Amino acid sequence: MLSFATNTLSFATPLIFAALAGYLSERSGVINIALEGKMLLAACLAAIVGAALGPVAGIAAGLAAAVGLSMLHAIATQTYRVDHVVSGMAVNAIAAGAANFVLLQNRDTALAKAVQLPPLGVFQVLALLSVVVIALWVANCRAGLRLVAVGNDPFKARLAGLQPVQIRFAALVGTGLLAGLGGIYLVANSAGNYTDNMTAGRGYIALAALILGGWRPVASLVVCFVFAAFAALSVQFQGQPFLGLAVPGEFWTALPYVVTLIALALAMGRTRAPGGLGRF
Amino acid sequence: MKHPSFRLALLVLAAIVAVALLFTTVDRPLPEVWEGFVRGTTGTPIAWTGTLRETTPLLLLGAGVFIALRAGLFNIGIEGQFIVGAACSTWVALNLPGPPGTEPVRMLLAMLAGGVAGALWALPAAWIKAYRNGHEVISTIMLNSIAIALTDFLVAGPLKDPKGASPSTAKLSEAMRLPFAFSQGNLQVSSGLLLGIALAVAMYLWLRFRVAGYELRLTGENPTAARAAGVSVARVTMAAMVASGAIGGAAGGIHVLAFEGRFYQGFSPGYGFDALGVALLAAGNSLLLIPAGFLFGFLTKGGASLQVFGVPKGITTIMLGLIILVAAAIRYRRESNDA
Repeated sequence: MLSFATNTLSFATPLIFAALAGYLSERSGVINIALEGKMLLAACLAAIVGAALGPVAGIAAGLAAAVGLSMLHAIATQTYRVDHVVSGMAVNAIAAGAANFVLLQNRDTALAKAVQLPPLGVFQVLALLSVVVIALWVANCRAGLRLVAVGNDPFKARLAGLQPVQIRFAALVGTGLLAGLGGIYLVANSAGNYTDNMTAGRGYIALAALILGGWRPVASLVVCFVFAAFAALSVQFQGQPFLGLAVPGEFWTALPYVVTLIALALAMGRTRAPGGLGRF
Repeated sequence: MKHPSFRLALLVLAAIVAVALLFTTVDRPLPEVWEGFVRGTTGTPIAWTGTLRETTPLLLLGAGVFIALRAGLFNIGIEGQFIVGAACSTWVALNLPGPPGTEPVRMLLAMLAGGVAGALWALPAAWIKAYRNGHEVISTIMLNSIAIALTDFLVAGPLKDPKGASPSTAKLSEAMRLPFAFSQGNLQVSSGLLLGIALAVAMYLWLRFRVAGYELRLTGENPTAARAAGVSVARVTMAAMVASGAIGGAAGGIHVLAFEGRFYQGFSPGYGFDALGVALLAAGNSLLLIPAGFLFGFLTKGGASLQVFGVPKGITTIMLGLIILVAAAIRYRRESNDA
């Protein structure tokens, strides 16, 4: 039971970081399916640069990579007005390619040693704190309210004297930092090593959690924990008979994805979506 | 910075510089790498055979993504529909009894079975989008992961070749393989490629000249206007997504019958994601799927031949991502000029 609880917290942490990253982006009106790529490249660089130059450099490189990808998404969608989903897919492709490139060019470093990252508890506390801070900040501070205003209706926000593009760039820096932390957590959670495609769709699951949480931070946090509990369940039961039946391991692998899909099917539409998603 | 054309040129330049910088980190001399790239993709008949082989699934799946995209839907699930279709198709091709000489009919049935499996796999995402307003990108990505887990289970257990050691089905007999459309020496062109080209042309005509095709385009371009004009947006969404899944599943069947001859774990090296790029590059015209599919096939094959030189395959994935971005930026520029 204890291992179930710690596993749940452990699975929830990267989802919370990613969901918050998505929150900042989508609340400012930028659809962001590129969370997955940002996490992946951050994880890759944190592990490899960290192994070569130490943990501080590794964390810095991971965060810089995620913010860099986030800026690419911002430039594509805001300056060049590329469709947000198209840009997100392109950023994911670039991130996956870059992670593969960096890993293969530095395979010796990656295999030789692991990066010594801070203990998992530090990240977990940081994730929970971020939720509280961001929820309070958006609800109470001038900058937070501007973020929501731009996301709800960029045209009216412009009439009120705000500059949507600038605010979105700023929001996407935050998105990059948070998604980067999610990726770095994955490396810390696997003893400082990077493995190919280690995000395994978490960026998308986090986005589903954000949507199911109605684009609200605390509700999304709860959904993250529900998803994480199912992932922890699948670890718990992997390879063991369930109610006397021999359940194949693949069933448990698929379980978190099935739960996400069913949750999407049961959700009541996108009524709470920021009104300015994908608009200018 | 203010002039849009200048800005666009800057983007293209930045993309080229980024790729060039990546190549400078490669140890081998660049002319040698470039020569290897050209030789590996179009230098010899064998290289052409390989490039066209990569083009075939990309073109077919690109067509699948395209039809959904014209209805305004991002079918990222084509990857899952492809592998589910391939697995189902292999099972039918292996187990459908029939006297010798009926192979063409059985192959056709196997392809249809793949199409049905792909359509069924797209159905949840179609329904969630049409009636629950849940985003198809997330639901289809979840379905991809489920498809991988399901087929992994099937080829390790029920569908596994009892005589083999690896998680793979048995191999199809030679008679149950799609014939080459053209074969001379080392240059072989599968009839699967012709099916892809025919599909792209048929799609062009259907979208252009049929009422249903018009309704589909209208829904994609402006759902509100479509609804006002009496089009059932939910019905079009369901039909487009399911058709897209059917094409993806049938493409899986074609890939088995034309090239692989069996189904195994890790069947798709990510054709589905590249196919999204093919469809985005083709933009509004399905005839453009043919050159776009070829470009992606060329880059995929080139990436494989670069690996011989110690250049990671990821470099072509980065290039594909940049191509998608640049193409989308150019398209926006053109559309805003028209307006």
